[in-house]
Amino acid sequence: MLYALSKITRKYGSRTVLDIPLMEIEKGAIYALLGPNGAGKTTLLNILGFLEVPTTGDILYSSKPVNFSESSLQNLRKEVVMIDQHPILFTSTVYKNVEFGLKIRRVPQKKRGIIIEETLDLVGMRDFEQAQAHRLSGGETQRVALARALVVSPEVLLCDEPTSNLDVENQAAIINTLKQINEQRKITIMFTTHYMYQVSSLAHHTFFLDHGKLTTAQAEPFCQG
Amino acid sequence: MELLTDSFISAILLIASLDPEVFSIVWVSLKVSGISTLIASLMGAPLGFLIAYGSFKGKRILIVCLNTMLALPTVVIGLFVYSFISRRGIFGPFDLLYTQKAIIIGQVILILPIVTTLTIAAISRIDERYRKTAMTLGANRWQTACVIFREARFGIVAAVIAAFGRVIAEVGISMMLGGNARGFTRTMTTAMALEYDKGEFILAVALGIILLVLSFGINLIFHFFQGRTRT
Ligand SMILES: Nc1ncnc2c1ncn2[C@@H]1O[C@H](COP(=O)(O)OP(=O)(O)O)[C@@H](O)[C@H]1O
Ligand SMILES: [Mg+2]
Repeated sequence: MLYALSKITRKYGSRTVLDIPLMEIEKGAIYALLGPNGAGKTTLLNILGFLEVPTTGDILYSSKPVNFSESSLQNLRKEVVMIDQHPILFTSTVYKNVEFGLKIRRVPQKKRGIIIEETLDLVGMRDFEQAQAHRLSGGETQRVALARALVVSPEVLLCDEPTSNLDVENQAAIINTLKQINEQRKITIMFTTHYMYQVSSLAHHTFFLDHGKLTTAQAEPFCQG
Repeated sequence: MELLTDSFISAILLIASLDPEVFSIVWVSLKVSGISTLIASLMGAPLGFLIAYGSFKGKRILIVCLNTMLALPTVVIGLFVYSFISRRGIFGPFDLLYTQKAIIIGQVILILPIVTTLTIAAISRIDERYRKTAMTLGANRWQTACVIFREARFGIVAAVIAAFGRVIAEVGISMMLGGNARGFTRTMTTAMALEYDKGEFILAVALGIILLVLSFGINLIFHFFQGRTRT
């Protein structure tokens, strides 16, 4: 098991927006997280991404209990990357955006260049390397955000509505990339979505979230296409 | 009217002749204002960042206080600093009164609130997602702060320029704490006030022209950076 959550709750003021008695995520699988607006999907991804601390409960990550101090969360974040529903790119070039995580990890410059070009190729944005990031379209922004997350070779990729605002072509490109990196690099992926067909083509398992509670959490058979 | 046109022409000639006195005065002004701005920026930009990013008790009140300090008249600051550095003040033994250092102290007090509040505004405009993005990509607190600072860079430069524009044109502090000593603490504005008192307008008009041109340049740059923050 990669993650094991037990008795996780998240409260805002007196409102409980997440209440998960038990949740397990296995390594190398693709999970879909479905639910209506306000169900708590983003909140759950934030917690899995170690960006938000649950109000109560425990998490085991790689079989080790998670300590919710800022410094230990910071270490865990090196392995888990979340891509926002509306990703925001740094006011800089595409290249510099993608380079960020590698710089932080002190990857030598030459090696950085190789990884960045390879990853930009993967998402089909190699030609935009020197483009100013804020000039990109929605689909291009999403691809660059994906590349920026992938260069750091994360263990887990959390995608919040990765295709919600994209045209069909870009949706297909993103889905293919996610599938490819899961197969080739064994990256565990969890994404949230409204679209059922994406779930069937991409996810190995599906979680349904409603009013902060998981309504069905059993593993479903993986069906291709 | 003739007085003004005559002085204006003579003033232009004076500037064109590269008069050493004019340039000594301009130099003192630029130097003192530049140092004040540098010190206030080195203090105010990080302070503004901490206030904008921190969550602590009394944050709102602190911002209201800083905004109030924006309206502090220069003569009040002059009087306040004077009471500390005059011979009978607690810093009297340092002999600061009527030196460039005295002007700088007063001017830093004048523009520290400007740099701080404009930095708070610039940082607050920065999208929350930048912080989250930096963090999820593995940045530590310091690296995350650098990302936000970088995103706010045009706004912060604009804050610094606004502060410089304020000190270069102020007269109360320079006069009260500098004393208008020729070649030493005589700035563009204090020189203009003095020449006016003497009823001699040529140097005053010349300095006025230089000050206006400088202010125009500063505002052009300020405008440019403000514009950049909106895109
Ligand atoms: N920072 C916050 N402060 C207060 N309430 C919040 C905050 N973030 C989310 N919520 C609330 O938590 C609930 C779940 O939100 P979210 O996780 O974004 O749902 P979803 O992503 O499924 O649409 C919503 O009702 C939302 O209003
Ligand atoms: Mg959401």
